[in-house]
Amino acid sequence: MSSCQTTCPYCGVGCGVTAEVKDNKVIAISGDASHPANAGKLCVKGSTLAQTLGPEGRLRTPVHKGARIDWDEALQLVATRIADVRAKYGPEAIAFYLSGQLLTEDYYVANKLMKGFLGSANVDTNSRLCMSSAVAGYQRAFGADYVPCTYADLETCDLLVLVGSNAAWTHPVLYQRIAESRRANPHKRIVVIDPRRTASCDIADLHLQIAPGSDGFLFAGLLHYLDQNKLLDAAYVEAHTEGLEEALAIAASHTPARVATRTGLAPEQLAQFYQLFGATEKTVTFYSQGINQSSTGTDKCNAIINCHLVTGRLGTPGMGPFSITGQPNAMGGREVGGLANQLAAHMDFRAEHVELVEQFWQAPAMARAPGLKAVDMFQAAAEGKIRFLWIMATNPAVSLPDSAMVRRALSRCDFVVVSDCVSDTDTAACADLLLPAQGWSEKDGTVTNSERCISRQRKLVDPLAEAKPDWWIVTEVARRLGFGRAFDYQHPGQIFTEHARLSGHGNDGSRDFDISALGDLDTQAYDQMLPGYWPRPKTPLTDAPIADGHFFTPSGRARFIAAQPAMPDQDASAQLKLNTGRLRDQWHSMTRTGRVAKLMRHRDFFSISLNGRDAHERQLCEGDLVEVCNELGRIRGLVRLEGDLPPGQVFSPIHWSGQFSGSGCVSDLMAATTDPVSGQPQSKFARVSAKPAPTSCWGLLLTREPPDLPALGYWSRVVVAGGYLTLFAGEIFTPPRELYKTLLQSVQRDGLRCSSYQDETQDDFREVALDGGEVRHALFLHRNRGRLPATDWMAGLLTADRPAGSVALLAGLDAGVADKGRLICTCLEIGERQIEQAIVAGACDVDALGQQLGCGTECGSCVPELRRLLLATGKKKVA
Amino acid sequence: MQIAADHCGNRQRLVIVGAGMAAAYLLQELGGACADLDITVIGEESDTCYNRVLLSNVLAGERTEADLRMLEASAERELVNFLPGTRVDSVDLERRSLVTDRGQVLHWDRLVFATGASVARPCLPNGNVRGVEQFRTLADASHLRRLAAEGDPAIVVGGGLLGLEAAHGLNTLGFSTTVVHRQSWLMNRQLDDQGASQLQIDLQRNGIRFRLGESVAALETDGEMLTGVELQGGETLPCKLLLFATGIKPNADLAGAAGLAVDRGILIDGRMRTSTQGVYALGECSQIGRECFGLVAPIREQARVLARELLGTAVAPFSPGRWPTQLKISGIEIFSAGDLDLGGEHLVLRDESAGVYRRLVLREGRLVSAILVGDKRGGGWYSELISSGTDISGFRSGLVFGREVSEALQQSARAA
Repeated sequence: MSSCQTTCPYCGVGCGVTAEVKDNKVIAISGDASHPANAGKLCVKGSTLAQTLGPEGRLRTPVHKGARIDWDEALQLVATRIADVRAKYGPEAIAFYLSGQLLTEDYYVANKLMKGFLGSANVDTNSRLCMSSAVAGYQRAFGADYVPCTYADLETCDLLVLVGSNAAWTHPVLYQRIAESRRANPHKRIVVIDPRRTASCDIADLHLQIAPGSDGFLFAGLLHYLDQNKLLDAAYVEAHTEGLEEALAIAASHTPARVATRTGLAPEQLAQFYQLFGATEKTVTFYSQGINQSSTGTDKCNAIINCHLVTGRLGTPGMGPFSITGQPNAMGGREVGGLANQLAAHMDFRAEHVELVEQFWQAPAMARAPGLKAVDMFQAAAEGKIRFLWIMATNPAVSLPDSAMVRRALSRCDFVVVSDCVSDTDTAACADLLLPAQGWSEKDGTVTNSERCISRQRKLVDPLAEAKPDWWIVTEVARRLGFGRAFDYQHPGQIFTEHARLSGHGNDGSRDFDISALGDLDTQAYDQMLPGYWPRPKTPLTDAPIADGHFFTPSGRARFIAAQPAMPDQDASAQLKLNTGRLRDQWHSMTRTGRVAKLMRHRDFFSISLNGRDAHERQLCEGDLVEVCNELGRIRGLVRLEGDLPPGQVFSPIHWSGQFSGSGCVSDLMAATTDPVSGQPQSKFARVSAKPAPTSCWGLLLTREPPDLPALGYWSRVVVAGGYLTLFAGEIFTPPRELYKTLLQSVQRDGLRCSSYQDETQDDFREVALDGGEVRHALFLHRNRGRLPATDWMAGLLTADRPAGSVALLAGLDAGVADKGRLICTCLEIGERQIEQAIVAGACDVDALGQQLGCGTECGSCVPELRRLLLATGKKKVA
Repeated sequence: MQIAADHCGNRQRLVIVGAGMAAAYLLQELGGACADLDITVIGEESDTCYNRVLLSNVLAGERTEADLRMLEASAERELVNFLPGTRVDSVDLERRSLVTDRGQVLHWDRLVFATGASVARPCLPNGNVRGVEQFRTLADASHLRRLAAEGDPAIVVGGGLLGLEAAHGLNTLGFSTTVVHRQSWLMNRQLDDQGASQLQIDLQRNGIRFRLGESVAALETDGEMLTGVELQGGETLPCKLLLFATGIKPNADLAGAAGLAVDRGILIDGRMRTSTQGVYALGECSQIGRECFGLVAPIREQARVLARELLGTAVAPFSPGRWPTQLKISGIEIFSAGDLDLGGEHLVLRDESAGVYRRLVLREGRLVSAILVGDKRGGGWYSELISSGTDISGFRSGLVFGREVSEALQQSARAA
């Protein structure tokens, strides 16, 4: 057995992970105590990584139009198609769409090939969907994409303002660090600004439940308030900034009364926040997708930064405007220039930067202007302007807005290449050529987290089948295009050091990103590289970026941005506002987390949250099927009543793709509206209506393989131990009996011992198939969803040592299995019902629950939910 | 002849005509009271009071004749005067006497007809040729066992209970056995088509073959021996042994000749009383309203009521109704209760490989019939539910799985 330090592939916190490897298998995962991001902690997603590494669902070989081909043929095919399209339509007809899941080295070679050797800047990344507004905000204010904070600032600040971030669920380890620092510092105050009452409100002293999209008004008003109350740091403003007058002029109209109207906040609440901000020197404003994913996201970022500039609160420990990213290597992508409007190494398309890079790369075909940003790129493809598209490690058919447009784009392209480690994604289904990429644990390189810390993500095991590193795939294509000399890489370390040298090339402190100190690492030093923060210039800087008032604008001063805030849209005709977000135990389109049974038990089937009043008005109850639609599309999910959601708002998680649900892709409803500066789509706002979706019946289907389902009114699938559990509903016009028959045809029944029960009058149909003592499949269908067996019970059937006789199984009863309810504590697998029982039996606080059941004692992500159960169950007890 | 009269002293004389299962049950029910009566049982067969239901097991060699004895070593047998191998030729109701084929004259104070039934055989030319046999008695069973030769083709006409039992016996004996059944499914009086089909699958697994929707048109012989049968459909099946199990006919001729009211069977009321005072009938020879009896359970109940009637003990009269059928053919349990008219809402359970089939029929939230093949557990409970007319809506979805599951469901519904 060997032990290896690497980095978690989930969120932007970038936790260090220690993996135990035995016989070429990762057998255990724990937090790396020596890593600065997490000091040994892990969230439940990270700690279940080993369970995501099975060969199931992996792409094993290159596949061309459904047929397996060998690597040489595949690489030649890519090179030929690129050359053909370039010759026929010019370089602008070629595009790469990359991902924050790629390693810096992968990113670097893809970017280099496109921008230096193919002559187009059409390289963009899914980070566009995540933090490009934050990048643009920093660039406008500082002249560079420089994150002026570290995680330690979250701990040392006295006021932490969380805006548009449910860190408790999206960045659990940081949230735990924050919660601990709050316990240690009784003076620390936490404000959460979010239209929803999220789990992060658990530690909030103040929750500002603003109207969706009104954040810009709140911060314009704050600037005005700071000005009116003489809370400006005049010396700082004078010494290091420019443009305050214009910003104040615009802010002046945003009086507290007007801001209260716009945001829907009570004037007292607003005043409380403004006073707190005004009075607290050590303030960090921590923001995420709630700010970025907006049609005015960049302006919102700058509205926040303005308030920090005007008070001089940045560049000093415990303060600053801090954007947190969602992906493990969104920052690395930014550093190499993975966005279409960046060139490389934090250089852009100004002539001197293009010249520097051209010279460094010895580039024969430099791109000289920005390329198409993600949404524009896919729109161009849908219009036939992009003919060759190479998608790496991402699933735009699910994650980009207006999925119908994305599917059109994919089908209109002459040639679509998808490099991915899994075979079945909604995007892969549209590809001409699939290339098997190595996944986490196989690939080797570096990532940068949200606090500018570069860490190694290391190879732990041998790759599956023919999977290759992404950098290798791109390099091999580049060689076949005749660029062998410039792409002569044998090891990712060679790519990293080239990247490091480029960052120092012609820099001399003129650019923030400089890691030239790492430009001479040999392979061994690269392999042993410890986590470290940039900048790391070869020649030490005389002054640190930002901290010493060192900005990267032409004037060297930070800029205030004067932008009039705006609401997402003025059309109030549609009834409901749709908001989107992540769930605690899920990640992106679930290609990884969807493989772990216990991660599917916090929220199992695709659900849409509604306020009780809106649901009641539409005659919807908890668990009913609701259809949410607008002119772009529709989704269907189970109603989840959420009292914390204000009336008029609907919430949908973002994770469900066509692999996991028939109608759960929330991007279907999102218009391709983008921020004019950053090009980031407005993925958190859509006008929608909601209505009950009539069904003929409900069913649960348990199978060993993913089932091939017929047309259904709804379906949603989860992984369970040994197989898959699908909840489905029949379209109103499909007679249950017909649906039952069709479903039976979709499962393999030959040679199995099938037992069935039918009560046709009640639309009650059941079948259980055994092979020896083993359940092969089970199907329960009923008019009434409440009459289906408990999902916990179903989920345990495939691994039951000695399942009851088939007839007892048909009865849907098994005395041995108690229904735990949905999983609250995923680490220790403690369900809602167990917790409620413990509370009723006398457990009076989180600690007592932890002692009794163990819940909340591992990663801590469930503590907010435990507290709410204590409150809710306690109330019931009293009543 | 004065034997019986001399013997009687001042005890009441009870004569039972017939020494089959009905007589045996009656004697069991009378129990110790037999001593207070002067009882004579007259049986045509040399064997008396044996369990005819198990005859197919004797045929199959699964049980011995001794296993079938019903009153073996019991007080009843000691206290009762048996006249085996004796046929009653005539009965004089007015004189309260009867005459046997041996010329004996017996007098009674009470007379019970328990004369049973015979196989209702269709009339076919060559019907008396060797190879056309019957299977009704222990003697028949012994005879058939002597005929057995491995692989010889045998045909049983009739796929009802008796036919299937006979087929099971012959099949086990080594005959290559085919059942020819006029209806489209087996046991059509007790089962629905799907239950019957499950039964058929199980019997086929044991090697029995079937021709459904068919009947025998003619017998083929070599002049002396049966060689085959021709079916209505034209097919000819080779055959060395043929048994008819095409239903039974109550033995009511003796009673009819004596002047008792008879229809198909001897007409009785709920206390087994015939049209003449002091004269009773029970079992397969009897008829109440339009109903005759062939199954054990109602006949046992008749015996219980009649015993109390004879002893002058109060008892509720026997009610014909539809008695649940419970039986085992070739090891396969079958249960059928309630109204076989299948109009209503159906709950159907199938487990083909386990040979389990269940159909429950509901009307207006009440159970009206139950057919169980392969696993008759819960049959008694279903019978209760049928006769009590209990509203089962609260545990409908567990009903077919039996009482325990239904109760668990009700409990969890109450808990929720």
